[in-house]
Amino acid sequence: MIRWLVVIAVIFFAGAAASAPADKARGAKIYIQRCLMCHGEDGDGGGPGAKRLNPPPRDFTEALYKFKTTGTDEPVPNDDDILRMIRDGMPGTAMPGWKDILSEQDIIDLVLYLKIFAEIEEEKPEEQIDYGTEIASSPESIAAGDKLFHEGERCSECHGRDGRGDAVKRLKDDSGARTWPRNLTKPWTYRVSTQPRDIYRRITTGITGTQMPSFADPKSKKKLSIEERWQVANYVASLAASGQPVRAENTVIKAARIVGALPAKPGDAAWDGAERTTFFLLPQIIAKPRFFTPSNDTITARALYNDDEIAFLIEWDDRTKSIPGDADAAKIAEPDMGPDAVAVQLPIEPADGSEKPYFIWGDATHPVNLWKWQSGTTKAPETVEVMTARGLGNVDKRANGGVSATGIYDNGIWRVIMKRARATADAGKDLQFREGEFIPIAFSAWDGSNGENDRSHTLTTWYWLQLKPEAGAKPLLAGILTALILAGLLIWWARTAKARPESGA
Amino acid sequence: MRIPKLLQAVLVLAAVYFGFIILFDVVLDQVIPASLLAMYMFFTFAGVFMVFTFTDAGARELVAPIRSLVEDPSRRGLRNIVFVVLPLAAGWYSFDQMSPSFEAPVELRSIHPAPPSRLKAYGKNFDIINMNNPFRRLEKENPGEFRKLVQEGAAVYIQNCHFCHGDKLDGKGPYAEALNPVPANFQDVGTIAQLQESYLFWRIASGGPGLPKEAAPWISSMPVWKDFLSEEEIWKVILFLYDYTGQRPRSFGGGDHD
Repeated sequence: MIRWLVVIAVIFFAGAAASAPADKARGAKIYIQRCLMCHGEDGDGGGPGAKRLNPPPRDFTEALYKFKTTGTDEPVPNDDDILRMIRDGMPGTAMPGWKDILSEQDIIDLVLYLKIFAEIEEEKPEEQIDYGTEIASSPESIAAGDKLFHEGERCSECHGRDGRGDAVKRLKDDSGARTWPRNLTKPWTYRVSTQPRDIYRRITTGITGTQMPSFADPKSKKKLSIEERWQVANYVASLAASGQPVRAENTVIKAARIVGALPAKPGDAAWDGAERTTFFLLPQIIAKPRFFTPSNDTITARALYNDDEIAFLIEWDDRTKSIPGDADAAKIAEPDMGPDAVAVQLPIEPADGSEKPYFIWGDATHPVNLWKWQSGTTKAPETVEVMTARGLGNVDKRANGGVSATGIYDNGIWRVIMKRARATADAGKDLQFREGEFIPIAFSAWDGSNGENDRSHTLTTWYWLQLKPEAGAKPLLAGILTALILAGLLIWWARTAKARPESGA
Repeated sequence: MRIPKLLQAVLVLAAVYFGFIILFDVVLDQVIPASLLAMYMFFTFAGVFMVFTFTDAGARELVAPIRSLVEDPSRRGLRNIVFVVLPLAAGWYSFDQMSPSFEAPVELRSIHPAPPSRLKAYGKNFDIINMNNPFRRLEKENPGEFRKLVQEGAAVYIQNCHFCHGDKLDGKGPYAEALNPVPANFQDVGTIAQLQESYLFWRIASGGPGLPKEAAPWISSMPVWKDFLSEEEIWKVILFLYDYTGQRPRSFGGGDHD
C-alpha cells in the first residue's frame, strides 16, 4: 500500500523535479560516508578495505572507467555513465548498486566529486559511441557472430573457444595487476549488463586500462564493422544465456536410478537422464587462514545410481588446467602451481533430525567423509583419496577408500566422475546411500594455478542429495482408494436422504 | 437481493484468506508461511462455522443448498457432476501427498537464540547480561573521540565483514548468495535494533560454532571472530554497525543510554 503510494508519488514528481546542478560539498560528504572505505580518502582506490578486494576498487585519480558510452578516442566517460555505475553497481565485484540508499541528486553530486580527483570536472566529452542500426538477435546473426568471434582467434584467443575465458596468455591492466578474461557464459559477472547494446559498446570502445582492445579501431587488424560488432554482441549474449545458472530454490541433487552399469565417462549420454544442480561457491574466508582471491564461483553436480553403486558428475569452470611440472601451464599460473582438485563432502551418519556436521570439514562429534580428486602432475597421474575429517585440523586419509574417479579438462571446464558402492563394509567409516533419504552434501574446489591449496579454496555450504526412489504402486492405490471411499459415502448420503420423507424443507 | 448463507460463509472465508495474503505478502513484504496460513484458516473456519450455526434455523439455512443438491431430483445433473469431480479431486490429492517428494526438509532455526550468561574469551569471563560497550559513554562525553572509534570500527568492518553482510550493511555482500542461512541484514529493524550490544559481542566473538543447538551452529558461516579480532576491535565494529544504520542498541533499564 505504502509502496504503491511512493511509486505514484515518484512518477508524479519525476517530471517536475529537474535535478539541481552538482554540489561538490554534498558530494564530498556522501563520498566520505559511503565510498571512502574502499576507494580511499584521496580517491586512489587505497581505502582500508582495498587489500582484500578482488578485483581492487577503482582509482579515480586515473579517470579510467570500465564503462563509458563516449567514443573510442575519448578518454573521459559521460557523467551519466559514472552515474549508472554508482546507481546500479558493478556485478561480479564488491561494488553494490546504491539506488536504494542514495537519491539521483546524491549520485549527481558524487559524480562531480569523483571527477575532481582526476581534475576532469571541466571536460565535456564530445565524441559519442556510434551504435549505427541495431541488429536484432536471430539465429543467423548469432551464427555470423560466432564465425567472427573465432575467425583468426579474434575473441577466442583470450575468451576461449567456448567463451569460458580459459586463458592461454597472461593478461594485465595498465597498473600491472593481473586480470582475467571474462568467462562469457556467466552472465552475473558481466560488469554492466548482458544486453547486446552494452556488449556492442564494450566491443566498440574496448575496456580502458585493460588489454581488451577496441574493435572499431581502424588501425586494428581485427577491426569489425558496425554490423559485425552487433553480430558478435548477439553471439556473446547467446553465450551468456548458455551457462548453468544458479537457482536459489534448487537445493537438492536428485540422483536418478538407472538399470545396468553407471557411465564411466563424463561424455556418456546416460548423464542426460540426471538433472543438473548448480551451487554458488564462496572462498574459504571463515577459518584461518582466510582466502580472499578465488577464481571460480559455481559448481554443478549430477548423480546416477543403480542397485549397487552411485556416481557423481561434477563440473566446474576453471580458466587454467593446472599441471605441476608443465612449462606451458606454469606460464599462466601463479607461482607454486598445485594440481586442480575437487572434493565431495558427506556426513558419515545421515542427518540426525536437523543436526548435521559443521559445514567446513565436520566436527569432533560429527565426522564427515571427503572424497578428494586431484588432477595429477606431469610425473604422477590423477588421484582420489577418501578422508574422514573431524574438523579442519583432524583428518585421516585412506588411499584405497573404495572411490574411483576420473576427470577431463575441456576448453575451460573440468568434468570429474566419482563413483562408489552404495554400501560399504564399515558403516562407522563411510556413509551408506539409501533410497529416499535426504543426505547432506557439500563441495570444495581448488584451482591450482590460482594458488589454491590446503585451506585456500572455494566451497559450498550444505545442500541435499536424494536418491530418487521409485514411486511404486502405493500412491496410486491410495489415490484410487480415497476416491472410491468418498464416492461411496456420497452415494450412500444421496440414497438415505431420498428415503427420508421430511427432507427438502 | 439477499445473499444465501452458504455463499456468505464462503465469501467470509475467501476474504479472510486473501486478506492474510495481502497483509503479509504486500503490506508487510513477508511471504506468509503455508503452515501459518493453514493454522489461521483453521481457526477462521471454526469461528465462521460456529457463528453461522449458532441457531438451528441458521444451521438449516447454511446447509440448505447442499441438501437440495443431494436431495432435489431436479438438480440431479449437477449432483452427478459433483459426485464425480469431488472423489477424483480427493483421490488426486492423496496420490500427490503419497508420491515421493523432492522438497528439501524444512530446517527450523532460531535466529536470535538466548545467549549464555557468560562468555569465555581473551582469557576473561564476560557477563553477557550486564556488560555494556565500554566505548558507548564517549558518544556524549567525547564526541570527537567517539567519531574516531566509529571510523576504526568501519575499517574493521570493511576488511572483515562486508564480504557477507555487504557494503550497505544490508546482508547482500558479494558472497551472500552462496550462504544458507543468509547473512544478517543490519539495516532491518528486526536485527541489531532488537538486541543489546553485549549480545552482538557474544555473537561476533563466538561466531557460528558458538551458537546453541536450536540455532543450528553447523550451518552458520559466521567465523569465530575472537580468533581474528581483539576485544576493542569487536566493540568498535559494534559502534559502527549502529552508527551507519542509524539504529539504537536495545537496553533494559539501568543502562546509561536508551
